[in-house]
Parts: sequence; structure tokens; C-alpha cells
Amino acid sequence: MGERMNGLIPPVVFGVAFLAVWELAVVGFGIQEFLLPKPSSILEAIGADWSVLSEAAIQTGIIAVSGLVIGVVIGALLALLVTRFGRIGEAATPLAVALNATPIVALAPIFNAWFGITSFRSNQAVVVAVVFFPVFINTARGLLEVHPDQLELMRSYAAGEWSILRRVKIPNALPFFLTSLRLAAPLSVIAAIVAEYFGGPQNRLGPVITQNASVARYDSAWAAIVMASILGLVLFWLAAALERLVPWTQTGGEG
Amino acid sequence: MMGEVTPAVTVDGVDMVFNAGSENEVVALREIDVTVQRGEFVSLIGPSGCGKSTMLRVIGDLLQPTAGSVEVFGQAASSARQNRSYGMAFQSAGLFDWRKVAANIELPLEIGGWSKPDREARSREMLKLVRLEDFADHYPWQLSGGMQQRVAIARALSFQPDLLLMDEPFGALDEMTREYMQSELLRIYSELGTTVIFVTHSIPEAVYLSNRVVVLSPRPGRIHAVVDIDLGPPVESTDSAKADEIRERESFFEMTTQVRAALRSVEAGTPGRAGSPGVADG
Ligand SMILES: Nc1ncnc2c1ncn2[C@@H]1O[C@H](COP(=O)(O)OP(=O)(O)O)[C@@H](O)[C@H]1O
Ligand SMILES: [Mg+2]
Repeated sequence: MGERMNGLIPPVVFGVAFLAVWELAVVGFGIQEFLLPKPSSILEAIGADWSVLSEAAIQTGIIAVSGLVIGVVIGALLALLVTRFGRIGEAATPLAVALNATPIVALAPIFNAWFGITSFRSNQAVVVAVVFFPVFINTARGLLEVHPDQLELMRSYAAGEWSILRRVKIPNALPFFLTSLRLAAPLSVIAAIVAEYFGGPQNRLGPVITQNASVARYDSAWAAIVMASILGLVLFWLAAALERLVPWTQTGGEG
Repeated sequence: MMGEVTPAVTVDGVDMVFNAGSENEVVALREIDVTVQRGEFVSLIGPSGCGKSTMLRVIGDLLQPTAGSVEVFGQAASSARQNRSYGMAFQSAGLFDWRKVAANIELPLEIGGWSKPDREARSREMLKLVRLEDFADHYPWQLSGGMQQRVAIARALSFQPDLLLMDEPFGALDEMTREYMQSELLRIYSELGTTVIFVTHSIPEAVYLSNRVVVLSPRPGRIHAVVDIDLGPPVESTDSAKADEIRERESFFEMTTQVRAALRSVEAGTPGRAGSPGVADG
């Protein structure tokens, strides 16, 4: 516990120093507040707009987390399916690669047409599509990259396919899966906000940022950006904590 | 020996051709005949790539030979595998990272449908056999290479398989650990009386462990010579250090010289001289 607290000290010191330099730079160089507000002004705006911001953060958080969960489940299940039936894998891999090369957020306007421009579903669909790919690829790798000796051992025990999947492939894939979750968690927030720029309900962080920016209330826009990065950080931390719970790796287990 | 006893392993006219008919065809094994008697310790030795691992996999029913047949305790290799007659160990210990040491040893028992109390009792027994009682609750990454390999051996023996197939199990260990592991294996072997087929490319290892050493020639892998090993009376001690006395014996040097000569003649392409291929004298 003590060590963990010690580990927190450097980033906190760095963060405070960073904010102090920012504050002094804005004041010292006379930077216009509409270009870059002082941290203290942003903090003030967070206080003033708190009810709007907290509601927007919660709503965006719900979209990000629900999209994350759906995308992760689909990615993991598809990985299981594709690796179980090699044929599907061969057929689906080029499609998956093409899908990955597509900037998914470019689909946001299309999803608006599909799900309705005021529906949260279209934002959620963007999150699902963005999150799906890293989870799918990493989980599939974990399922496939079992040491050949271990598969031969299982065959020598006359273990069936299901037994091999349950006892070897899935546990082997778990660290890969959790790593992909750590990648996907902050992605889900980015995807949600970019999708919100294009449409969906208005009481979200995305619209709050665009609306405030369009009326030159930059401190309020920045306040919403800060809320978004806090949201991303919280999800990242949760996923990273989950990853450290795995007790059988040298890095895991003690975190 | 009284009457007809079914041998442990009968390999009869086995060919193994990979990618037959294609450009990258490899004839890994050609006309292999070997008989291994019950309780025998037989080593396969030969230059790298000569088909030792392939032969072990064919015997273990992990590869289907392109010709010939393999019988294990009187049944086809495939039935033997279904009946869990094989314990296997490889150069990589192949422990499952996510299972603690005891759970690794219990895995084959779990698959074989043993009850939990039986599994636990057996894994304790096996840990004692390989002298790792204190490590039941450790994860594999917390053990040294030699300890991991001992766990792998305990796991291979946990369900008392009739036949132990080992593919260079000590190949990745340093020399000291390696000799210690050899003595340990010999102690376990004499306690349990299992039949062992052991792949190695170390001459002293083959001589120290085996009743017979089968020398393979490369491409296609054929049996080049069979050397019967006689090191004199066994050491009557379960203490591994005392068992090492064997390595100092005159007979040990004689036998290594003989195996080395057989291996040299493989490389020179002349026929082997020691023994007649694959026929046990049992
Ligand atoms: N699955 C396979 N497909 C094609 N060739 C193989 C395969 N397995 C082994 N071989 C070839 O068969 C030969 C014997 O291999 P192996 O049995 O692994 O040799 P050893 O264990 O004696 O080093 C080698 O030439 C190797 O490249
Ligand atoms: Mg080999």
C-alpha cells in the first residue's frame, strides 16, 4: 500500500508543476484566453457549469461503457468462433483487415442515417465498431498462439476439443484479451465524443464542447474536454487494474 | 523371460513422409523396426533433423505414419492414446502458466475424470517423488528451469502411464542441473518401473540412462545401429549423488566410446557395427 502511494507521487508532482507552468505562461506571455485559458479559469468553468458537465459526462460515459461492453463481447465471441472454425477465419480475415483500415468514425454520419440522428444508438454503434477490432485481433491471437507442445500434451491425454478450448486456449488468451481491453477502454471515450460531434442527443460532452466553442466560451469548452479526459483515464485505470489481477504472470498478481 | 510377453512397443516397417508428392517432400523416417520390452529404457540418438522427434510422435499417435504400424502393449497406437497409455515430456517443460504446480500435475487426472480428493492425493505423492513438496502453490514462472522440468515429469507420470515418451527433456538445462535431473529420472524410473523412450543428442546422457541406445541416420531417418548398454551392477542407493558414481566407471567410458563410434560412422556414411537393428534380446 505504502509503495503504491509512493508510486503516485511523481505523476502528481509532475501534474502540479505542468499546471503551474501553464498558468504562469498564459499570464506571463499574455496569451489570449480564447486561445488557451488558464487552468484556474477552466477550473472555475467546471465549477460554474458543474450540473451540465456532470450530466454530460455521465451520459457520454454510459455510451462509451455500454459500447465498450458490447464491442468487447462481440470481438471476443467472434474470435472464439473464427479460431474454432478455421475456414471462417480464412474467409473473414481480409474483411476484418479492410474494416480495420477504415477510419470507423467516418461511418458516424451513416450510422446517424441508420439509427436516427437524435438516437444514442448511432453513437453507441460507432463505439462498438471502434472497440471491436483490437479485442477481436488480440483475443484471436491468444487463442491461436498456444505452444504446440501444450496442444500435443493435451492430445496425448486424449482431451477433446472442448476440453482443450476451456483448459488451454481460453486461459492462454485471457492476458491478450485484457491487454486489448486496456487499449479499447480509452478508445471508447474518443469514439463516443467524435461520434457525438456528428449527431445524437445534445446533453453529451461532444455537443457541449462544440456548442461552447461556437459561442466563444472557450473556458467552458475546455472544461468539457477536461471531463472527457478524466472519463478516459478512469476507464483506462479500471482496465489496467483488471489486467494486473491476473495472478500467473510476473507483472500481475501483486499489483 | 517366461513365455510370450507382449512387448511395450512394436514399431513395424514405419515410413514417415511429410508433404508427400510436393516439392518440399521430406522423408523423415524409412523402414523403422524397433521393439521395446516392458520396463526398458531406450534412447534415440542421432544428428539434428534425423527424425527422432518424428519417431516419438509416431509412437505417441500424434502423427500418422505413411506406412507401417505401431503397437503399444498389444494395441494400436491410437487406442493406446485413447486409453491414456502415454506420458509425454518435451524440451520446453510446457507447464500451463495459469495453473499452479499442483494443478499442473492434476491436469491429466482432471481430463481422465479422477475425483478431486484422488487428484490431490496423487499430486502430493508426485511432488514428493520429484522432491518439490514445498512448491505446490507456486506458479510456474516462480520456478527455475530444472524445477519446471521436474514438475513436467511429475505431470507425465501422475496418471501412471504405461509408456513415458521424452523428447530432449533436459536439452535446455545447464550441465549441472542436467546431470542432477538424469540421476533423478533414473531414480524415479527404478522406483516406478515404467517403460521409457528418450530422445537426446547427448551421448553421455543416452549411455547413463539407457538399457539400449538406438542410433538414427539422417535423411531418410533409418536405424543405423543399436548399442546395448551394460554399465555393470546398479548402485543400490536412492541418493542421486551416489548414483553418480556410475559416471566414473570404466564401463561408462567404454559405452560412450561405442555410441560415439556408431554416430561417427553415421556421419561417414558407413554401416553401423554394434548389434542388429531393433531386435531386443529380451
Ligand atoms: N510437420 C512437418 N512437416 C514437414 N517436415 C517436417 C515436419 N516435422 C518434421 N519435419 C522434417 O522431418 C525431419 C525430421 O525432423 P525431426 O523429427 O524433428 O528431427 P529431430 O527431432 O531428429 O531433430 C526434418 O527434416 C524436419 O524438417
Ligand atoms: Mg527433435
